[in-house]
Formats: sequence, C-alpha cells, structure tokens
Amino acid sequence: MAHGHSAQDLMRPAGSAQPAMSVREVSLTLGGPPGRLILDAISFDVRQGEFLSIVGPSGCGKTTLLRLMAGLMPPTSGEITFEGAPVRRPSLSRAIVFQDYTNALLPWRTVSANIALSLEARGVARAERDDRVAALLKKMGLQHAAAQFPGQLSGGMQQRVQIARCLAQQPRIMLMDEPFGALDAITRQGLQDELMALAADEKMTVAFITHDLEEAIYLGDRVFVLAANPGRVVEEIEVGLERPRHQLLTREDPRFLKHRHRLFGLLQGH
Amino acid sequence: MTALSRAARRHGPAVLFVAALLGAWQGLADLQVISPVFFPAPSRAFEELAFSASDGSLWTSAWATIKRMLGGWLLASAAGIVIGGAIGSSRTARDYLEPTLEFMRPLPASAIIPVAILFLGLSGSMALAVIAFGAIWPVLLGAAHGFATSRRGLRDVAAALEFGPVQWMWKFSLPAAMPDILSGARISLAIALILAVVTEMQASLPGLGYDIFMAQRSFRSAELYAGLIALGVIGFIVNHGLAMFERRVLSWREPQS
Ligand SMILES: Nc1ncnc2c1ncn2[C@@H]1O[C@H](COP(=O)(O)OP(=O)(O)OP(=O)(O)O)[C@@H](O)[C@H]1O
Ligand SMILES: [Mg+2]
Repeated sequence: MAHGHSAQDLMRPAGSAQPAMSVREVSLTLGGPPGRLILDAISFDVRQGEFLSIVGPSGCGKTTLLRLMAGLMPPTSGEITFEGAPVRRPSLSRAIVFQDYTNALLPWRTVSANIALSLEARGVARAERDDRVAALLKKMGLQHAAAQFPGQLSGGMQQRVQIARCLAQQPRIMLMDEPFGALDAITRQGLQDELMALAADEKMTVAFITHDLEEAIYLGDRVFVLAANPGRVVEEIEVGLERPRHQLLTREDPRFLKHRHRLFGLLQGH
Repeated sequence: MTALSRAARRHGPAVLFVAALLGAWQGLADLQVISPVFFPAPSRAFEELAFSASDGSLWTSAWATIKRMLGGWLLASAAGIVIGGAIGSSRTARDYLEPTLEFMRPLPASAIIPVAILFLGLSGSMALAVIAFGAIWPVLLGAAHGFATSRRGLRDVAAALEFGPVQWMWKFSLPAAMPDILSGARISLAIALILAVVTEMQASLPGLGYDIFMAQRSFRSAELYAGLIALGVIGFIVNHGLAMFERRVLSWREPQS
C-alpha cells in the first residue's frame, strides 16, 4: 500500500485526469479602494493524489492563497474549483491544518474530544466515535495523551492532534499551512516522515505550504515557488525523487541539491 | 496521615484566628462592658443555634433563604448569559441594549424593591425578581466580555468543519466564554445571598433574614447573632462549592505537565 505512487504516476502530464483542485487566474485585492494586490493572477492545478509543496518568502500570500483554496474567503477575481465544482465555502472534504496550532485546537477539549470534533461535524454516531478516535490516536502516536488538554502538550503533539482531527474528517484533500514551521528541527523531521507515510498510505492529495525550501523539496512531488508583492507563481518544478525518501540520503541526492540551488536562487530574487 | 498534616498546615492558621476571635468575644462579653442585651457571649449564640437546630426552625429558615438565593441566582445567571452573550457576540444587540443596561446597572437593587412589591406583592416571586435584578450584572458583564473576545482561529476551525451558528455558539463561543461567565457568577451568588436577606427583611418573607430582623426587634440578641453565624456559614459553603465546581469545569486552564 505504501507504494501507491510510482514515478510514472507522479510525472504523468497534467490533463490526463481531472485535477483534484484547479486554481484559475486567481487574484485578490485587500483593503482600499484602491486596495493592495495580494495575489496576482495565480493559476495551477493540484493533481489527484499528489503531494504539492508551495514555497515562498514570509508575507508573500501563502496563507491567503490557502484560505482561498479552502473557501474561507473568496478571490477578487478568477475561479477555484475542487473536483470540478466551484469552491464557494469551506467543506469537510477539504481539511485545513492551520499554521497557528495554539488557536486551532479547542483548549477546553481533551485530545480525544478535539479529534471527535470532526466526527461530530460529520454526524458520526456517538457510539462509533470512540472507536474512530482510538484508531486515530494510535495512528498519530497520541494514545497516552488522549485525556490531556492541548495546553499540556508540546507543539509537536498539538500539531499531531490537528492532523488527527483533519484525518477524522476523511477529507479528499489536505490543505496544510506551514504545519511544522514553529517546531524544533528534530520534531519537525519526525513529523515530516510521518506525514509522508500517511499521505502514501491513504493516497492523500496534499497542498503543503512552507517557507522552508528543503522541506518543500523533501516532501513534494512538485514544488511551486511564490514571489512576493504581489504574490504570484514564479516557478514550478517536478521533484522526481523516488519514495520512500530518507532524511539523510534524499537530502544528499544530487537532484535534491540541484533543486535546492535553483529554488534558493529564485527565493533570493536572482 | 500526610494528608491530615497537610490539611493542618494549610488550615491551621485560619482555625487559630477564628478561635482567638471567639475567645476575645467571649472574654469581652464576660466582662460585661457592653450590656448582654446587645452583646451576648458567643456561647449563648451557639446555644441558641443548637436549640433552633434541634427544634428544626434553623433548617426551615436556612433552607428558605438558600432556595431564595439559588432561585434568584439561577434566574440571574440564565438571563445574564443570554443577554451578555447577545451583547458580546452581536454589534446590533449591543447598540440596542447597552445604553438601557448602563442606565439600569447603577440602580441599587434595594431601590427596586418598592417597584417589585407594586407589581408582585409581598411574595416570593417579588423576592426572586429583586434578587435576579441585583445579581445579574456580574454574570452579564462576564458573559459579554467572554463572548466579545474575538477568536478568529476558532472561527476558521468552525467554518472549516461546516458548523452553523447554533453549533458555533454551543461548541465554541460558550465554552470559550465560560471562565469569564463563572467568575461573574461567583460574584453574583454573593449578591444573591445579600438580596435574599434584604427582601426577607423588607417583605416579611420566611428565612434567616426575617428571623434576624425579628430577633433584633424583640432584643433577642443571642438569636440575632445565631442567625448571622448561620448566614456566614451558608455564604462560606456556597462560595466554596462554586469555586470547586469552577476548578473542575476549568481544569483545562491549569497546565499540569
Ligand atoms: N486581512 C488582511 N487585510 C490586509 N492585508 C492582509 C490581510 N491579511 C493578510 N494581508 C497581507 O497579505 C500579505 C500576505 O499575507 P499572508 O499571511 O498570506 O502571508 P504568508 O505568506 O502566509 O506569510 P507567513 O509566511 O509569514 O505566514 C501580507 O503582506 C499581509 O500583510
Ligand atoms: Mg502564513
């Protein structure tokens, strides 16, 4: 099951199947009039089952773009479709992992109850919830924290809870906003590998936002690079590194280094 | 054993102080500097307390006052959470309600009593109305503040999970406002006890307040002090009970690890 993605799958040309999500000429102006152009005519597809990394400098509009993709706010112009239907409002089929986990978990609910929130949203019967929650706790390595409150957990654990809650939604796409940005390097690497294994297991479609270009390459099937002022896509690369990936070996792979050089240059504005 | 010694260390000073106070009271009363008609010895007050406890009148009165206090407090809390919640979460509700409430808030509850008597007579419901009016403010302000605190992150979570406005209130807003509501409710409870006693005195309704009032009228000072002691005990127990409830409900706020 873990070998769901073959290299051919990942590199099939766009258009061979309906994309999971399609972003067409999306622009966003905030404030004003005249206002400030935050995102400028952004177009791309998220392919079915792919892990798409979106990398860009701080303030370039990554979070804003993700909010548009989630349906939390509408674009000023352009259109976003998910599985062929226009995105107008948030949907349980699109799970969001928020950048700021301290404000994304309900502090008065235990870890179990936070995960159960998604099940409540889906109308899963009470009797069934406990089993589902138990399975997710196990999957995310949270069993011993089940009865704890978010305020008692480390950042890494809290982010695990957020991911578990998203999985409980049984979404068809995961939208992740710098989920590991606030974590220390070790925790971060651990979670990166867990997330990759999870995505492979579940054949998940993921749009993963980060400002860390190594993380973008390491995790992604493709990487989009955003530039700031206004936010726009300036580059797209196919990563083409085989899976499963390895924290040391993959990062030492010449192709990894080549991507890294290229993206580094772009992010510096050369 | 360790639990016992810990309790002794924690509560010992308070117990000592109370004992010293009672000792001083007893000593002063024994010297009869002030006439025992106004200033009975504590031993007499406790005798009176024991007597009324054994003939049941203490329990009847205390229960009447407690019911009055709790009834008024529950009314105040329910109305306070609803009105405060509306003000805290809706701009429109605030624009409509706030000026009127700001006008009513400084009115002393005891000044409302004549109006309440006019409408409801010398009745238990009059007392409930007065208590609710006087006790509503802390819980109302707490709720308004709790609901007004903006929680954009949680709003996004609720939206992402497709929760509607009712569920937003129930699953997000209300629990988030709970700490503010509960700290207001505790102050409200103290006010409710005060007003239960005041309405009993003013409207001759059964209860400890009425007993104290009558004892004073007929110079039965030991009975008067016995009533005061009983009121103090009720206030103490009720406040601690609510504090314990608060700690339980808000246990998520204390990081334990
Ligand atoms: N509500 C708003 N009104 C006006 N400007 C906004 C608003 N929200 C964000 N912006 C602006 O939009 C730009 C993009 O913000 P956004 O949060 O999307 O950046 P980001 O790429 O996610 O940054 P970071 O890496 O720091 O999270 C910023 O310049 C920000 O100031
Ligand atoms: Mg951001």
